[in-house]
Amino acid sequence: MYRVVLASRKTVEWIGLLIVGFLFVFPFLWMASTAFKTMPEVLQFPPTLLPETWEWSNFAQAWESGPFHMFTWNSILVAVGILILQFLTAVPAAYAFARYKFPGRNLLFGLVLIVLMIPGQVIFLPIYVQLSGWGLINTLWSLILPYAASAFGIFLLRQAFMQVPDEVIEAARLDNASEWKIMWTIMVPMAKPVLVTFGLFSFIYHWNDYFWPLIMTNSDEARTLPIGISSLHMSDGGTLWNVMMAGNMILILPILVIFFVAQRHIIKAFIYQSK
Amino acid sequence: MFSMKKTGTILCALTIGLSGVLAGCGSSGKEQSASTGGTSQPAASTASSGPVQIDFWYALGGVRGKTIEDMVKKFNETHKDIIVKPAYQGAYQENHSKVLASVAANNNPDVTMVEIASIAAFADAKVLEDLTPYSQGDEKKYIPGLMKNSYWKDKLYAVPFNRSTPLLYINRDMLKEAGLDSNGPKTWDELVSFSQKLSKKEGDKITRYGFSTPVDIWFYEALVFQGGGNILSENGKELTINNEAGKAPLELWSKMVKEGIMKNPPGENYNAWDVAEQDFLNQKVGMIFTSTGSLTELKKNAKFDMGAAFLPANKTLGTPTGGANLVMLAKSTDAEKKAAWEFMKWMTDTEQTVPWSIASGYMPVTTEAIDSAEMKAFYEKEPNFKVAVDQLQYGYPRPMAPGYKELQDVIQKELQRAMLGQATVDEAMQAATEKGSKLLKK
Repeated sequence: MYRVVLASRKTVEWIGLLIVGFLFVFPFLWMASTAFKTMPEVLQFPPTLLPETWEWSNFAQAWESGPFHMFTWNSILVAVGILILQFLTAVPAAYAFARYKFPGRNLLFGLVLIVLMIPGQVIFLPIYVQLSGWGLINTLWSLILPYAASAFGIFLLRQAFMQVPDEVIEAARLDNASEWKIMWTIMVPMAKPVLVTFGLFSFIYHWNDYFWPLIMTNSDEARTLPIGISSLHMSDGGTLWNVMMAGNMILILPILVIFFVAQRHIIKAFIYQSK
Repeated sequence: MFSMKKTGTILCALTIGLSGVLAGCGSSGKEQSASTGGTSQPAASTASSGPVQIDFWYALGGVRGKTIEDMVKKFNETHKDIIVKPAYQGAYQENHSKVLASVAANNNPDVTMVEIASIAAFADAKVLEDLTPYSQGDEKKYIPGLMKNSYWKDKLYAVPFNRSTPLLYINRDMLKEAGLDSNGPKTWDELVSFSQKLSKKEGDKITRYGFSTPVDIWFYEALVFQGGGNILSENGKELTINNEAGKAPLELWSKMVKEGIMKNPPGENYNAWDVAEQDFLNQKVGMIFTSTGSLTELKKNAKFDMGAAFLPANKTLGTPTGGANLVMLAKSTDAEKKAAWEFMKWMTDTEQTVPWSIASGYMPVTTEAIDSAEMKAFYEKEPNFKVAVDQLQYGYPRPMAPGYKELQDVIQKELQRAMLGQATVDEAMQAATEKGSKLLKK
């Protein structure tokens, strides 16, 4: 009797999870299905779930509507460049906040937290003017430099570093390891799941970012994928939604691949955090 | 997430070290900035020996953006002493913010598209160059009905480029089937009676609506004009919609929605436009208001006899015009301004505006274009395209006030509140007027 109740409870749980899972996946599936439809089918009512004819040429049409190889290359340079700089700045900063006592530490950390709460749109103008003064507008630098330090990264890594037991560090110090060495060869490997998670957040955010590249760049040479795709959208109606969705599929493909590869680390990071 | 001052200096060092890794991006970008930076160096213009280079920012994506790029290419091929660099900058709103930022940072474009209701804001902020010394009477070639949004305080600041009016789109097959005049309703009363006959119910469920329109400021403006009203007072300092003419559109729409003969399409801003157009194409609604700019695409996708008609009249016929104008920026150098005018003149000339109009559905902007044999032949074949031009005789300018961009958001929010039943018509107009007056006093 008890076993039956348990089994049926499991079934209910499963069904619940499936429903919730489907709700989250549905918009994505809808995009994928639209990307393969012909335009008349997109406008058809009631809508079809699967395309009646698979229109592969949508992808070619999206890709050929602009210099997409250049956009892709720029997107990679920007997202990876930001990631590298953020690691180089966030690791020492987080280590200092987590492991050193110095005057003004709490104040400084408070400032970092404040930065977390200010949306980029609010302060874009002074940054724009500053970058313009340096002649960096319309270059990839204007997309990378403003994000070279990440408050979120510092915050996340500080939490991870604080959880490393004191004994580990003391033992290393007894063996005459330099602070630099402790930081990179002991702390960083121990915080690997958090680093991977942060890396993913950062990469996805900057890969998808639309506002900043749109504001900072004026010509295709310095533009990224999201802008290329948004230019497929017409302002006064008449957008080719199938081509638009094909463009979006191209945009998110790399992210999906990375996500599936790194999935294990993300789950680990959250378990690690909640301990 | 942004660098603080301290990290800035460290970063400079870091980036120099990294420049090997990212060399590809730095060099290609540098060239760009050197060329656009010309605006801040007056020396460049006096010592100019080669062609003048100017930047042109536009705000139309998709096929239309492509047409614009092709036009610019043609201009560059035919003008050896000028190089125009076109760049897409997002929709009107995004381009608007970007132009303002670029002016503050001294790397503004030389020519850009500005949505007509924003002309006053730009002119008032002294961002735009007075075009009178350049045009020298040449502006008379444009259709007078399109010029009312080109002036601010009696100075010419803009020339019409991609211009539109709202139209009533009708499903002629559906109208005929219901035994109605297939030319569409002529008055508000007819709009209601037509909609009643076109709407269908199955049990409690409405399966077809007679009419649908995005609850958008643009269509509201049209309906206010039709009641003999105006959005702003003559001096542009007061909101004048808390009266009969201002309330009538909302009363009409909410009455039709309550009766189940008009659909209020859901979605923010342009999403609601998309919904209305798709419902129309799917024959879920019989008639919609939308821009003449949608004509080409709607025609291509409609599987029925689609017609365009004047917006129905209340006390009078009336329509705002819409779309964008071309402007020149005040901060450019003299040489750039001269080149900029050459370009603006060329883009809006009959020879360009005719194919542009045929390809995009926007109106041609010169009187000569309307009378041209090519346009006449096209209108003969596609009479729907002529409706917007004919309707221009009842055209009004969009309200001109520096704060109108913010003001229209305020009004639109109140319109939607009333449509969703969160406020009565009186409350909504009262609230819009109060909030609006504050903006206008700024």
